[in-house]
Amino acid sequence: MKKIVLLLLIATAFFACKNDSKSSTKSEDNELNVYTHRHYDSDKQLFEMFEKETGIKVNVINSKADELIQKMVLEGEQSPADVLITVDAGRLHMAKEKGLLQPVSDKKIIDSIIPSNLIDKDYHWVALTKRARVLVYAKDRVDPTSLTTYEDLVLPQWKGKLLFRSSSNIYNQSLMASIVANDGEETAKKWAEGLVENQARKPKGNDRDQVKAVAAGEGDVAIVNTYYIGKMLNSNDRTELEAADQVAVFFPNQNDRGTHINVSGIGVAKYSPNPEAANKLINFLLSEEAQEVFALSNYEYPVNENIENSEVLKAWGDFKEDDLHLNQLGELNKKAVILFDEAGWK
Amino acid sequence: MKQVGSSQESFSLKYRIQRGIRDLNKWTVFTVLILLFIAVPVITIFFKLFDGPGESWGHITNYLLTDYLKNSFYLSILCTLITLVAGVFSAWLVTRFEFPFRTYLEWLLIIPLAIPGYIMAYAYAGFFDYGGIFSWLMSPLGVENFKLDMMNVIGLSFVLGISLFPYVYVSSRAFFLTQALNLLEASRLLGISETRSFFKLVFPLARPAIVAGLVLVLMEVLNDYGAAEYYGVNTFTTGIFRSWFSLEEPETAIYLSALLLSIVFVLIILEKYQRRKLQYTTPKTGRTSIDYRIKLSYPKQIVLTILVSLPVVLGFLIPVIQLIQWAVRTYNEVFNQDLLWLSLQSFGIAFVAACFTVLFALLLLYFSKWNKIYSVQSASKLGVLGYAIPGAVVAIGVMIPTLSLDKSFIEWGWASKFIINGTLIALVYAYVVRFLAVAYQPLESSSLKVNSSIPDSSKILGMGNFKTFFKIEFPLLKAGMLSAFILVFIDVLKELPLTLILKPYHINTLAVNAYGYASDEMVMHASIPSLFIILTALIPVIVLNKLLLKNG
Repeated sequence: MKKIVLLLLIATAFFACKNDSKSSTKSEDNELNVYTHRHYDSDKQLFEMFEKETGIKVNVINSKADELIQKMVLEGEQSPADVLITVDAGRLHMAKEKGLLQPVSDKKIIDSIIPSNLIDKDYHWVALTKRARVLVYAKDRVDPTSLTTYEDLVLPQWKGKLLFRSSSNIYNQSLMASIVANDGEETAKKWAEGLVENQARKPKGNDRDQVKAVAAGEGDVAIVNTYYIGKMLNSNDRTELEAADQVAVFFPNQNDRGTHINVSGIGVAKYSPNPEAANKLINFLLSEEAQEVFALSNYEYPVNENIENSEVLKAWGDFKEDDLHLNQLGELNKKAVILFDEAGWK
Repeated sequence: MKQVGSSQESFSLKYRIQRGIRDLNKWTVFTVLILLFIAVPVITIFFKLFDGPGESWGHITNYLLTDYLKNSFYLSILCTLITLVAGVFSAWLVTRFEFPFRTYLEWLLIIPLAIPGYIMAYAYAGFFDYGGIFSWLMSPLGVENFKLDMMNVIGLSFVLGISLFPYVYVSSRAFFLTQALNLLEASRLLGISETRSFFKLVFPLARPAIVAGLVLVLMEVLNDYGAAEYYGVNTFTTGIFRSWFSLEEPETAIYLSALLLSIVFVLIILEKYQRRKLQYTTPKTGRTSIDYRIKLSYPKQIVLTILVSLPVVLGFLIPVIQLIQWAVRTYNEVFNQDLLWLSLQSFGIAFVAACFTVLFALLLLYFSKWNKIYSVQSASKLGVLGYAIPGAVVAIGVMIPTLSLDKSFIEWGWASKFIINGTLIALVYAYVVRFLAVAYQPLESSSLKVNSSIPDSSKILGMGNFKTFFKIEFPLLKAGMLSAFILVFIDVLKELPLTLILKPYHINTLAVNAYGYASDEMVMHASIPSLFIILTALIPVIVLNKLLLKNG
């Protein structure tokens, strides 16, 4: 027992010392605390670039956006968070509604780089990257001319052929929110019911699993993010490569409003201890050099229009985007979930 | 009649209070203090019951709750069966029989616990997927592109059961190892077969130990989110997260968690109440011999080896083969020296957290024993509830009180920034709150078999509580303590939501690293950190297992 107590003391002391040494060398002005839902290697690389350029040290807390938002709410005015990064507009909207964000300082710069529908109306957040929610279809079984819009997926010809993941998934919720915004609640609910009617199996797995299921013939058409197909096409796994090869990408609604896009975005925390550095980071992440990293390493569409898409994305060609203002996606997110439940989309 | 009844009641109430005051001793005070310390986060969540749910409550009960409850129910039943069979039988066989590879299997049976549930889920889905390893194994048989669909309630129960059965295994083995085998010898001498005495004697005797393990399994099953979400099985916990994340109502999420807490609390009290009627201490506490193991004929020994290997193959070998296959493919991208540093940090945190957790579990257990008020003893069960609710909710429960403390410190000018949150204090505290049950259950079950007459006589002879504890009970508790330590260590090693939310900036763990990849659907990339988790877990498991056998 004595030994255990001793060991415990030593271990505690070790960790305590480690803490102290870190905190004593801390100079608060030169640090930036990032709460982020993005945990990609590209982001790590970008933060390192930022550190080198500005000398500001970036501390990262990685978690789900909802948990980060809850953390910020509880921390209140003393919150150490400087910026919040999420992988969808809905969460940023929620953070704004809860009074956790403040406007960015360099509005003009941002306006000159990004289309206005990708910026919060009050400049509380801006988009960093885009992903398109597209259809993938089995090349050998589906004639692409039979595909038109998200709305037409409810047609009886797709009975037992559609694959999509759970309605807990934020990308499905954003898509639903865009349908509500464009077609109205009633139609949106009917649309969800129609899709459930046509589903090949109960929603399960992630986006990649939907693509694999199309390749294996469990269904013919799946709703997935471009981002994941990009990843699959460059996978180390032969099965994934083969699966991605057997399907093709279709951008729906090209003749009307355009394909639904969702974004990952960033905002300055309301009680940021270092708002100046926070704004610097935002400007940096929107700059051409940073946007290029996003575009090349992560199969995302850059929001900075001066930057070209990566080769993978170029191969799918240009497409018309739904220019619905992202604020609306945020406002309608909860409504979307409620409609999903009512329609029985698990 | 009525009057008589009421006067009796008031008499009994008065009597009870009087008795309470008489029995009040310093241990009561200590118990309450420790309990408060540990249970503050849980109590915080408990009190949210009175705040009521958010406005989506109607929506949830209308559309979701029935389905969620049904799934949780099936899942609990199936997992109970799987963990009982895999855990109790393997524990019994390795302690009672001699067969080839027994010593390896003994500790390999603990290892499935080290694989995070969601990684196990991914590994199994991958193993049985199109073009997966299983499909490749089947192709010589002429079966092309085979897929066994794991993504349903049964698959989920299997995956969770096979990764959680070590809880039952560890607690029942600790019991088998140290219990007096005299009774068994007697039953053997009386000509009762081994099988019969297992079901008639050992199984009932081991009940507290088995139930202790089972309670942990069920709590973990109820709060699992990662695996269930991936398999598309909506459980009660799905409801918690759906109301928090999708319906944007943390209040409703906490309300649901509080409901879950109440249910589990009632179940635990019921079990304890029922157990109270039975005496479990064995008549003799003399050193029990486990040197003696039954040697069957060689072919039968081989059968035993195969039987005991089965849970190891399913819970360890298959997922690890899948992880290794993925690791080979992603080696270039993921492997670097940081992983070693991460392992070291993970090891350190898990070690410290496990020490504190076991310490607090011991304090709570013995203080509440030495206190003589029964209701305080029951209330001490509140301390273990942190394990029943999802880690993310525990994190909120921890943040609410600690942040208000932190804020007061700043207000009073004692600190310029948060000193609890964002440091290891909050993280380790949260681990203690969350995993107290994991340490408490094996400790409690092994303390039950210490015949109370021995410490009692020691006290009559003038020894104090502490002295009696260290001289007499502590040596008998060692097996339970070591089991408790291993379990908490492994649990902390793979813990996720708490660590993500509460960890200091400069600390990183393997689990966080693995999750970073997995949550981005890069499951293959998560394989290398996952394998490192398993390797890191192996060290204490092997060392402590040796100690356990030596002390048995």
